[in-house]
Amino acid sequence: MSIIYILIPIAILFVIIAIGVFFWAVKSEQFSDLNKQGHSILFEDDKEQHNKSNDRDKSI
Amino acid sequence: MTTSCFHCLEPVPPGFSAHVQFEGQPQPVCCTGCQAVAETILAQGMSDYYKFRTDSAGKVEELVPEQLKELLSYDNAEIQQDFVSQQGELQEVLLSVEGISCAACAWLIEKQLLGLKGVARVDVNTSTHRAMILWQPQQCKLSDIIKSLHQIGYKAYPFQADDEAAQKQTVAKAYLRRLGVAGLMTMQVMMFAFAMYFGMFSGMEDNFEQYFRWISLFLASPVILYSAMPFLTNAIKGLKAKQLNMDLPVSLAIFGAYAASCYATVMSVGEVYFESICMFTFLLLLGKYLEFRARLKASEFTANLQKLLPLTARKLLPDGEQKIVAAKSLQLSDQIMIKPGETIPADGVLISGSTTVDESMMTGEHLPVKKYQTHQVYAGTINHDGVITIEINKVGQNTLLNQIIKLQHNALTKRPKIVEVTDKVAQWFVACLLIFASITAVAWYQIDPPHAFWVTISVLVATCPCALSLAIPTALTCSVATLTRKGILIKESHVLETVPKLTRMAFDKTGTLTEGRFSIESISILDKSWQESDVMELAVALERYSEHPIAKAFTEQLVSPRQLSDVEVVTGSGVKALFNQQPVAIGKSAWFGNHSSFAQATLFVDDQPVADFYLADKVRHSAPEIIHYAQGQGLSCHLLSGDSSNAVKDLALELGLDTYKNACSPQDKQQQVESWSAQQHIVGMVGDGVNDSPVFNSAHLSIAMETGADISKNTADVVLLNSDLKSLQTLHLVAKKTKTVIKQNLALSLCYNGSILPLAAMGLVPPWVAVIGMSASSILVITNSLRLLKL
Repeated sequence: MSIIYILIPIAILFVIIAIGVFFWAVKSEQFSDLNKQGHSILFEDDKEQHNKSNDRDKSI
Repeated sequence: MTTSCFHCLEPVPPGFSAHVQFEGQPQPVCCTGCQAVAETILAQGMSDYYKFRTDSAGKVEELVPEQLKELLSYDNAEIQQDFVSQQGELQEVLLSVEGISCAACAWLIEKQLLGLKGVARVDVNTSTHRAMILWQPQQCKLSDIIKSLHQIGYKAYPFQADDEAAQKQTVAKAYLRRLGVAGLMTMQVMMFAFAMYFGMFSGMEDNFEQYFRWISLFLASPVILYSAMPFLTNAIKGLKAKQLNMDLPVSLAIFGAYAASCYATVMSVGEVYFESICMFTFLLLLGKYLEFRARLKASEFTANLQKLLPLTARKLLPDGEQKIVAAKSLQLSDQIMIKPGETIPADGVLISGSTTVDESMMTGEHLPVKKYQTHQVYAGTINHDGVITIEINKVGQNTLLNQIIKLQHNALTKRPKIVEVTDKVAQWFVACLLIFASITAVAWYQIDPPHAFWVTISVLVATCPCALSLAIPTALTCSVATLTRKGILIKESHVLETVPKLTRMAFDKTGTLTEGRFSIESISILDKSWQESDVMELAVALERYSEHPIAKAFTEQLVSPRQLSDVEVVTGSGVKALFNQQPVAIGKSAWFGNHSSFAQATLFVDDQPVADFYLADKVRHSAPEIIHYAQGQGLSCHLLSGDSSNAVKDLALELGLDTYKNACSPQDKQQQVESWSAQQHIVGMVGDGVNDSPVFNSAHLSIAMETGADISKNTADVVLLNSDLKSLQTLHLVAKKTKTVIKQNLALSLCYNGSILPLAAMGLVPPWVAVIGMSASSILVITNSLRLLKL
């Protein structure tokens, strides 16, 4: 049972990390628009193709 | 069957045929604008947009060269000063984007802009319709960014957030951080608390229990010292202002119990209450945050509409050249040119040209005002049909627009505050609670000194006004959320309380009970050799060339117009042209001097009157219904209109209103409402123009239409987003329901607190009973409030 003397502080450490991550998320405005973040997972990320086509547009 | 446009989902006009290729299938589009946008989107590999969008896109208008030139002016460093900020090597701008309807739009915009060279970061917010963009000025210009948004069908304008909005954002983030800490930590503390409860029944080693207490202390401290701090500061602020607010017992209970629990932990005596105060803090914060968010959303929405003044102006230099300058840099006696359709950037005197100006945002009347030389024009009004030059005679704070805004602010601060039920109940409750707690402390000190402190704390915890302080905010938040979903924006917290108390409703005419749009009411044929349909087709053909608001009534008609030649628009008279080599004209009745009537437009053939057109402002289809409903609820309905014509009387009779008053100045309206208030009537005012905003401040409840002037929307307590009067009925129903729920909540929490108070005072309530009681009463209250979400 004395293992909890070590395990609980480790658990607390995780909580502190979680709070750190949460603060970072608030700072980078991830909670300002929940609707958008919820949908973003649906879209395929074909960024490279998109970049290429944009570059092509410019060269025309 | 009509097909709908692939891009904007509007019907494709007959005869128009254009397609785009989507997944191998040709899809119809309704105009070349939509076609261009859809092709851009598909060609750039962003076809996912069409798969996942949940709302239709707006109809796309193509940019005219004039607008493109104006876009270039956004690159001017002097103009950029106002809305672009430097972030290291990057520049940052906030754009307000028109046409964002769902998450797919945000994705599309982000993708399109990130494809541009030099754009480092894009953040689109679909709830505020704004986009934050960070870019490298060397690689990409602001006008390119806005142009590339136009390519995919979105109109964007630089947006300038004022200090107040920025401050609100900071507050919102602070709330979130506090809530996050409280939430995460409360979960942990609860875990240990449960371990200790079970330990109490099954027996736990003392050193484990002591260890758990120290851990709980460690975890609860950030919640109390960080998350719960605003309660303490509010309570102190209240005390300084000699007021007992709800935050006082809340912070007494939280900080008292925290201090006592710390003492208990250090000295290993008595009970710890860490879990109760953590949960209490979390729930309270959650209620407050949700309430704040609802209000924030409402204010963000109206701020977006504040695009009253243009950023740039076309200044005439002494050598006759034109130069686009920042509107802010305009000086007295500068001369500027304004083209049709543009917003006038400053107050000035017209020195050349003549035009009609839409001053509806100042006056609320939709008929345009004619302006000739030496007439004064005002910043924020829209130039309709002539190219004019004005000499500026007022700038900055002195313009009429800014003066009106200033008056609004003054009126708002002086506004008589309706004493809220919440405050009254809280004041009494807090006073009673404090007195009771002190009596308990004194009494127990006489009987059993070692227990006095603990019993007092348990009185504060057990009777902690958790349920009571949640009773009103949760109910209000739920109904505000319901109303927002139904297109009714609540901007002031007193609205839901005031609505059920209303005894009188006053309505504005134009734009409120009527649509503010003209329609053809009747046609009288003067020359019997003409058929009504021929007259109509000719009139529609002619009016298509006019920008006058009356012309809209004609162009909306579903007839096929005739082919005309040699069309000429005569300012102040009407439109003339040749039809089959015959001169035809439409315009005011006295145009050719041989005819006069009350008709708003007359059709002439060979300079002889052929037909008179009588126009009327359309009554909103929901108006009769809502007045019937209001009268059924025992409210008397009144019409207060700035219009001086007979139309006011006709409308009042048609709708069965109790009284009507025409030709009211804004002051008249205000006096009327104030005299009703003096007779103990609770008055609600529904309106839309700037002329309604003074009366909004006098009325107990003010409701503005979405289509109304921005200033009136900013002053109003409620904004009807869909401009549907039926929303008033919804508002009334929800408000009544909310009142009932609040009463139930208050009864529930007072019952609980009232019954636990004597028990706690006698020292009969063990901590775990107190916690369960407190939680149960809070949950009961919240569940009751949640019913409002389902309305």
